[in-house]
Amino acid sequence: MTSPRTFSRATWRPTAGILARWVLGATYLYTGCHKALHPVDFLKLLRQYELFHSAPALDTIAALLPWFEVACGLLLVAGVAVRGTALVSLLMLVPFTTAVFHRALALKSALALPLCAVKFDCGCGTGEEFVCHKLLENFLLMGLSCWLLAGAGRKESLRYALKEDASQFL
Amino acid sequence: MLRNILWESLLVVLAGSVFALAANEISPRGLSLTRNYFPAAAGANPAVVRESPASSTNQSPAEMLVSEIKTRGLQLAVSNQVVAWFKDPRRQTQKLIFIDARNAEEYQAGHVPGAWLFDPYHPDQYFAAILPVCQAAEQIVVYCHGGDCDDSLTAAGLLQDVGIPGSKIYIYGGGMNEWPATGLPLETGAQNSGQFLKATP
Repeated sequence: MTSPRTFSRATWRPTAGILARWVLGATYLYTGCHKALHPVDFLKLLRQYELFHSAPALDTIAALLPWFEVACGLLLVAGVAVRGTALVSLLMLVPFTTAVFHRALALKSALALPLCAVKFDCGCGTGEEFVCHKLLENFLLMGLSCWLLAGAGRKESLRYALKEDASQFL
Repeated sequence: MLRNILWESLLVVLAGSVFALAANEISPRGLSLTRNYFPAAAGANPAVVRESPASSTNQSPAEMLVSEIKTRGLQLAVSNQVVAWFKDPRRQTQKLIFIDARNAEEYQAGHVPGAWLFDPYHPDQYFAAILPVCQAAEQIVVYCHGGDCDDSLTAAGLLQDVGIPGSKIYIYGGGMNEWPATGLPLETGAQNSGQFLKATP
């Protein structure tokens, strides 16, 4: 018989891993679909960051990033290439959060407001938000990505289910 | 293990990029990857807020828009001019036309009665209809939301690019944010639908 401690460790971690995968996946699906349905709005918001000075670079990011997020969301929800997708998620979140922070600082300075009172549409697919909420949200998503990257969230994952089914026939 | 993760992420990037390219191509709202969507505002982006205003031009977004209008050889139209032009009999003969540079959804929700829709982010859909009208018109009033919205400027730039002289293009800076305050009606649905909303200043 397993001790309560062993039981909790054995059951809690995989369940939380699945939840983390689904939360991160659902977030990417929602924000990606929102941006993909309104690509011009996303293009205009992206332009405000002044990160891309050539039109093709700006167009490519605005056209492809929303659908790329949808693809990542689908992979995470289904549980295919979870650790690889988690790494890609981190690589998207870190520079984007930095850009949001820089823009928030610019607005803070221009509007003479405290940082947490700055509210703007960062192009994240969630509309206008207070910057501190947005940054906290992004840090949580980064935390989930790190955890998935470390190997959580493999349970109920399509790739492993397929692998196990295949091994039965071999 | 690290190598596996790196390979996996590379595959995710490749598969995700292929998926994104295909989806953007199929989507009716997809963007072109090679078009410059902001040709008119190459030198200025009124929506940008800079960290240190002293290091920039010290202009508000609206002032930047006005200077960009002048740089492009266009004219700025103010509210009372626009009201007078709306009542001008030349509007009935399409010698004076209004162009709405917002998207189709916003246009349907309410536009200047009789205005032509010209979404500058999907110009190919509208050029065939508006180009002959613009060529024949003596005066063209282009508007978008107003404030720091520069879609009217982008639309005017596209018209200039196809040979419409800037001297007959006027940018209504107040745009649809200001229009209800003029007391003039708003038309809903398609152009000349005959459905009007009462102005609510």
